[in-house]
Amino acid sequence: MNKWIRLMVILMPFWFLPACSSALSLPAAAYVNLDQRVPLPTPVNSAVVPLRVAVAAVISPQGTVESYTQLLETLQSRLNRPVELVQRRTYLEINDLLEQGQVDVAFVCTSAYIAGHEKFGMELLVAPQVNGETVYYSLLLVPNDSVANDLADLRGKVFAFTDPISLSGRMYPTYLVRQQGSTPEEFFGRIFFTYSHDQAILAVANKVADGAAVDSLVYEFFLAREATIGQKTRVIHRSPPFGIPPVVVNPALRPQMKLELQNFFLSLHQDLQGQAALRAIGVDRFVPIEDSAYQSVRELLSDLNATR
Amino acid sequence: MKIPPSLQAIFRRFWDIAGGVSVRSKILGIVLGLVLLLGLGITVQVRQALTRTMAAQLAEQSVSVARDLAARSTDLILLNDLFALHRLLQETKANNQNVAYAFLLDTQGQVLASTYGESFPKDLLAANPIEPTEHHRTLILATNQGYVWDTAVPILQGQVGVARVGLSDATLRTTLATITNQLLLTTALVSLIGITAATFLTWILTRPILDLAQAAQAVAKGDFTQRVKRWANDEIGLLATAFNQMVSELEKADEIRREREILRRQLLEKVIVTQEDERKRIARELHDSTSQTLTSLIMGLKVMEGSCADLQTQLQARELRQIAIQTLEEVHDLAMQLRPRLLDDLGLQAALERLVKEWQVRHRIAIDLMYHVTQERLPDVVETALYRIIQEALTNVARHAQARNVSVLIEQRGDELVAVVEDDGIGFDISKITIGDGAQAHLGLAGMQERAALLGGTITIESEVGRGTSIYIQLPIPKAVEDETENYDFARR
Repeated sequence: MNKWIRLMVILMPFWFLPACSSALSLPAAAYVNLDQRVPLPTPVNSAVVPLRVAVAAVISPQGTVESYTQLLETLQSRLNRPVELVQRRTYLEINDLLEQGQVDVAFVCTSAYIAGHEKFGMELLVAPQVNGETVYYSLLLVPNDSVANDLADLRGKVFAFTDPISLSGRMYPTYLVRQQGSTPEEFFGRIFFTYSHDQAILAVANKVADGAAVDSLVYEFFLAREATIGQKTRVIHRSPPFGIPPVVVNPALRPQMKLELQNFFLSLHQDLQGQAALRAIGVDRFVPIEDSAYQSVRELLSDLNATR
Repeated sequence: MKIPPSLQAIFRRFWDIAGGVSVRSKILGIVLGLVLLLGLGITVQVRQALTRTMAAQLAEQSVSVARDLAARSTDLILLNDLFALHRLLQETKANNQNVAYAFLLDTQGQVLASTYGESFPKDLLAANPIEPTEHHRTLILATNQGYVWDTAVPILQGQVGVARVGLSDATLRTTLATITNQLLLTTALVSLIGITAATFLTWILTRPILDLAQAAQAVAKGDFTQRVKRWANDEIGLLATAFNQMVSELEKADEIRREREILRRQLLEKVIVTQEDERKRIARELHDSTSQTLTSLIMGLKVMEGSCADLQTQLQARELRQIAIQTLEEVHDLAMQLRPRLLDDLGLQAALERLVKEWQVRHRIAIDLMYHVTQERLPDVVETALYRIIQEALTNVARHAQARNVSVLIEQRGDELVAVVEDDGIGFDISKITIGDGAQAHLGLAGMQERAALLGGTITIESEVGRGTSIYIQLPIPKAVEDETENYDFARR
């Protein structure tokens, strides 16, 4: 018996092996008790209400941040007030935010302006001027090596729309298909939405889509940045000029504020910081604009609705 | 090199334990010790290597999961798609079982979405702060659920927020535990095999040694027929051969010794028998011839004394007769001492009674004889031997003991004759006077011993200074007359 006790004592270090088999010793930076939870603090409403600027998803959210940060920073320093960038997947969501007053200023698409203006009196603030013009076009893009030369050649192919209510990305190509006496669903083999123009361009460049209709402003802006896009894509059709996507405000915005904002945009090109901010979004300067500039688009859309 | 005493003591202590156990335990100890040491060493090594590798992997994985989460959450945060963010976090956690938690912070450092839902661990947010300019930052956090590799990655250079992912060490711990248990199990299995092998080895090694030990013990007891089997052609086999040779030599030597002993005994017996016969002859001669002559002389002198007128001559004749009578008595005594006729004629009891009586008269010491022997006459050799032994014992008592009382007891116990001679004299220190030391003064004792030994008996002496002396004599009584004749053949001649 005694012998066995002695043996056990000798083998004692081995008892602890299984016990310590899952024990670890590592240099830890801090100790945290993961089970000691506290409710998340509800965001405090800061005393200073930020100016909320929405940018419609003409280009992808990341691209938007990269392009508009400088502009918004300039705005923030000029107004001496925090500025918050708001983005949503679709144009309609931005319109809703404007209508509910959750957004003060918005860069919207032409068709979104027409819809918003109709629905709740969305007001024009200013419009960007690009290459001396305040118009843009819808471009029908195909991959560079595609045999297609006009829309008819894209029958039964894969087509990328941008936003459901984008004028250049969906309304205009739909209008073209209707003129062929068909509907997009019948005409194209397959349709998908990219929700932004830069992604539609990339979809064609990478041959994910056989064709897409995009905003000429975005396409040119893209070409200036990435030359390879020009080598991979080809424009087979250019629309008549449309009124450029404007900067709009909620009709309920204080007139004082509206004036202040208008002054800011209109004078942006007058100093170096402003010029840099404008360059970042591919705009020469901002100019005042009237609702009449969008009349042609309005007619096209009503034509489209009529044929539906 | 001088070994410090403490180390020596430890070594001695170790050797006390290690040397004290059997060869089996030693071999088992070596095998088990090595197996366990190896198992333990490998386990520790593997655990360390595994921990290092897996910790590095977890750190890398933590970075890649966090970067992936940052990339995938960018647009969702920008679009304020909280539901999609929530789903993304859930998917991140579901797709990677190591993910303990994942959460996203906005530019203000507020939690946008987390796998924890509504509540949030109190200290977790502050545990891994990161600058927007950093690429990523990985820290090991100790938590109540084990270690967590926490990586923070700024989303879009911090313009959108921060993605944080924590990878738990659960897999690492499970793997470690599994590997450790497997290694320990293997070690235990190998130990078991080791024990079996060691037991077998021990059996092979110790069997011939145990055989040798057994044979050696038998040889020590005088059994020279023992031979051990040579199991193997190794060192132990060599030892077995040497042992067998040694036993053969011992056997030969023992045989020679035995033969010499027999010769010596035969010689001794012859000497004693011859001595007895000679004494008997002389005693008879003294009794028959010398005594007769002296008696005739006494008768003659008595006649002469009566017939002679001369007073002077008469007185001389009486004086001579007195001398002759004394001489006759002395001759009687001498004959008696040499060989009491009673012993031959009436047996041991009568002879002893006579001996005792005369001894008492001569030495004036009280003596008491008790004789309880059922057999009427004992074999001649036994009677003679016992008589001589008791005679010698009494002579010693008279010479050295200064005793006042002596008792002699003769008793038959079955086939044995037991005699005890006790005195109340001064005694002596036995350790100083051993029978076999060959000293001249103790030849008497040696003689007694030899006589007893010749008949297969023993003599034991008990004595202490001041406490008297007891001599125990034990003699076997030969059974049949035929045996006697055969055994003591020469004694009768």
